[in-house]
Amino acid sequence: MDETVAEFIKRTILKIPMNELTTILKAWDFLSENQLQTVNFRQRKESVVQHLIRLCEEKRASLNDAALLDIIYTQFHQHQKVWDVFQMSKGPGEDVDLFDMKQFKNSFKKILQRALKNVTVSFRETEENAVWIRIAWGTQYTKPNQYKPTYVVYYSQTPYAFKSSSTLRRNTPLLGQALTIASKHHQIVKMDLRSRYLDSLKAIVFKQYNQTFETHNSTTPLQERSLGLDINMDSRIIHENIVEKERVQRITQETFGDYSQPQLEFAQYKLETKFKSDLNGSILAEREEPLRCLIKFSSPHLLEALKSLAPAGECRIQKPLCYSASYSQGTQDLSSC
Amino acid sequence: MAGILAPGLGVLAHLERLETQVSRSRKQSEELQSAQAQEGALGTKIHKLRHLRDELRAAVWHRRGNVKACIANVEPNRTVEVNEQEALEEKLENVKAVLQAYHFTGLSGKLTSRGVCVCINTAFEGNLLDSYFVDLVIQKPLRIHHHSVPVFIPLEEIAAKYLQTNIQHFLFSLCEYLNAYSGRKYQADRLQSDFAALLTGPLQRNPLCNLLSFTYKLDPGGQSFPFCARLVYKDLTATLPTDVTVTCQGGEALSTSWEEQRASHETLFCTKPLHQVFASFARREKLMSLVS
Repeated sequence: MDETVAEFIKRTILKIPMNELTTILKAWDFLSENQLQTVNFRQRKESVVQHLIRLCEEKRASLNDAALLDIIYTQFHQHQKVWDVFQMSKGPGEDVDLFDMKQFKNSFKKILQRALKNVTVSFRETEENAVWIRIAWGTQYTKPNQYKPTYVVYYSQTPYAFKSSSTLRRNTPLLGQALTIASKHHQIVKMDLRSRYLDSLKAIVFKQYNQTFETHNSTTPLQERSLGLDINMDSRIIHENIVEKERVQRITQETFGDYSQPQLEFAQYKLETKFKSDLNGSILAEREEPLRCLIKFSSPHLLEALKSLAPAGECRIQKPLCYSASYSQGTQDLSSC
Repeated sequence: MAGILAPGLGVLAHLERLETQVSRSRKQSEELQSAQAQEGALGTKIHKLRHLRDELRAAVWHRRGNVKACIANVEPNRTVEVNEQEALEEKLENVKAVLQAYHFTGLSGKLTSRGVCVCINTAFEGNLLDSYFVDLVIQKPLRIHHHSVPVFIPLEEIAAKYLQTNIQHFLFSLCEYLNAYSGRKYQADRLQSDFAALLTGPLQRNPLCNLLSFTYKLDPGGQSFPFCARLVYKDLTATLPTDVTVTCQGGEALSTSWEEQRASHETLFCTKPLHQVFASFARREKLMSLVS
C-alpha cells in the first residue's frame, strides 16, 4: 500500500469519533467482518487506528478505497461543510432524459481527466437516486491534494446539484462543465441558496417542505394551542386578546404551515427604498435616487425564528424568496418592521 | 283694643294675617290635591302591577303544567330520536364510504379554504399504487400551492402548458405521467423482488424507471448463455418500452435457436409488462424441469 494512501486513511480514521467508528467502517464495507472482530475498539484511539491501518495494508487498500472512506465520513458529517446549490437547464425541445448512471460516471470522469491530468474522481450512489462525487484536484505538474477535495451531490433526472463550498474556486467552471455535459444539460447556474443542511436545501429546491395534505380521511381537528393568556385578567381583555392572537396565529399558519421549517442560517435581500420624513431637513428623505442597501438576516434557524416573530408581536414581513412558486432572483421588497 | 288704638296698623296687620292665612290654606289645599293625585296615580300603578303579577303567575303555572305533560310524554318521543340518530349515523358512514371509493377512480379532491386539494391515486393492472397530491389555490392566475409529485416528473412543464387554460387537461396529463411512472416502477420492483433468481446481476434503473438494463438466464445455474437486455421508455406516458435490445453476453455468433430465442425475447419485452415476461420464463423453466 502506498505511503500516501496509508497516511490518508490514517488521517481520515483519526477524524472519526470513537462512537461512530464501527458504523462507518461497516458502511465502508472494505474490511471484512472477521477482520473487524480482531480489533479491540476499547483501546486508546491511536492503537485502534494502527491496528486498522495494518488490516488495510493486508487487504491492499487503494486510493479509491481511501477516497470512498472519505466520502462516507463526509456523508456522516454533512453539516461540517457549507453547500451551494446549482441549477442546470436543457435547451428547448430536448429529448427525454434517459439517465444512465454508468454513462454519467464515465463521462464525468473523462471530462475532468482530459482537462487536468492529475485528478481523483470517486463516486458513491445513495438510495434516493443521488450520487456523491468526490474530486481531489491536482494540476498538470502536481499530484491531487487529497485533503482539500470538493464534493458534489447530484440528483439524477433533476436539474439540481449541491456542491461543497471550497476555497479552490478556479476549478468551479470546469466542474460545472463536466456536470452539465455528463448529465446532458446545456447550462448551469449557481442559485442564491446556501446552507450547511443538505436536507433543508433539498426540501426547498424540490419543494418538499410541506407534505401535509387535506383529504377526506384525515380527521385532524383544528389544533387548539394554548395561547398563554393570564386567567386573572378581566374577561373582556382576555376576549379581545384572544381575537387578536387567533388572527395572528392564522396568518402565521397560512404563511409558514404546520410543518417544521427547512433550516436556513441566513437570508440576504437587496433593498431599494425611499424614506419619508415628517421632520424637515432629514438627510435621508427627499432624495431623487432611492436608497440601495443589502440587508442580511442570520440565525441558527432563520425560518423558525421568523415564524415565532409574529405571535410574539414583533413584526410583519413578507415571505422569504425561496417560498415563492417561481424562483425569482431579483430584488425583493421588505415591508417595514 | 289694639285695633282701635292703632287703626291703620291693626287693619294692615290683620289683612296681612288674613293674606298669609289664605295663601297657606291655598298651599295646603294644593299640596293636598297633588298628594291626592299622586296617591291616585300610585294606586292605579299598584293595580296594574298586581294585575301583571297575576298574569305572570298564571303563565308560569301554565308552563309548568305543559312541561309536566311533556315529560310524561317523553318515553314514546325518545325512541323516535334514537331512530333519527341511527339513520344519520348510517348516512354519515355511507358518505364516508363513497368519498373513500372515489380513490378508486384515480382522481379525487377535497375543497380547501383556498381552493382544492387534488389526490391522484395511481394503479397498474388492478393494483392500487402510490398516491400523489396537488394543492391548488383558486386565484387569478391559478397556482399550485404545494404538492407531493416527485421532482423528476415534469410538473412545471405540464402546468405551463395547461394549468391556466384547461385545468381538466392539466389533471389528465398529470395523471397519465404519474400512472405511467407508477406502472414502470411497479414492473421494475416486481422484477427485483420476485425474479431475482433469474437475474445474473443487479438491475440498473434510474429515477423515472425509463431506462432499465439487466442480465438474465433462462435456466439459472444451467449451461446457457446469459442474455443482456436494455429497455428504453422514451414515451413517459407509457408503461411499455419504446426500444428493446437483447444481446447475448457471450458475444459470439449465436446458433439459430439462440438467435430465435433472442429475437422472441425482444418482441416479448416490447409487448408485455416486464414482470409478466419473467413470469412466463419461470413457468416455462418449471415445465422444462418437470419434463426432463
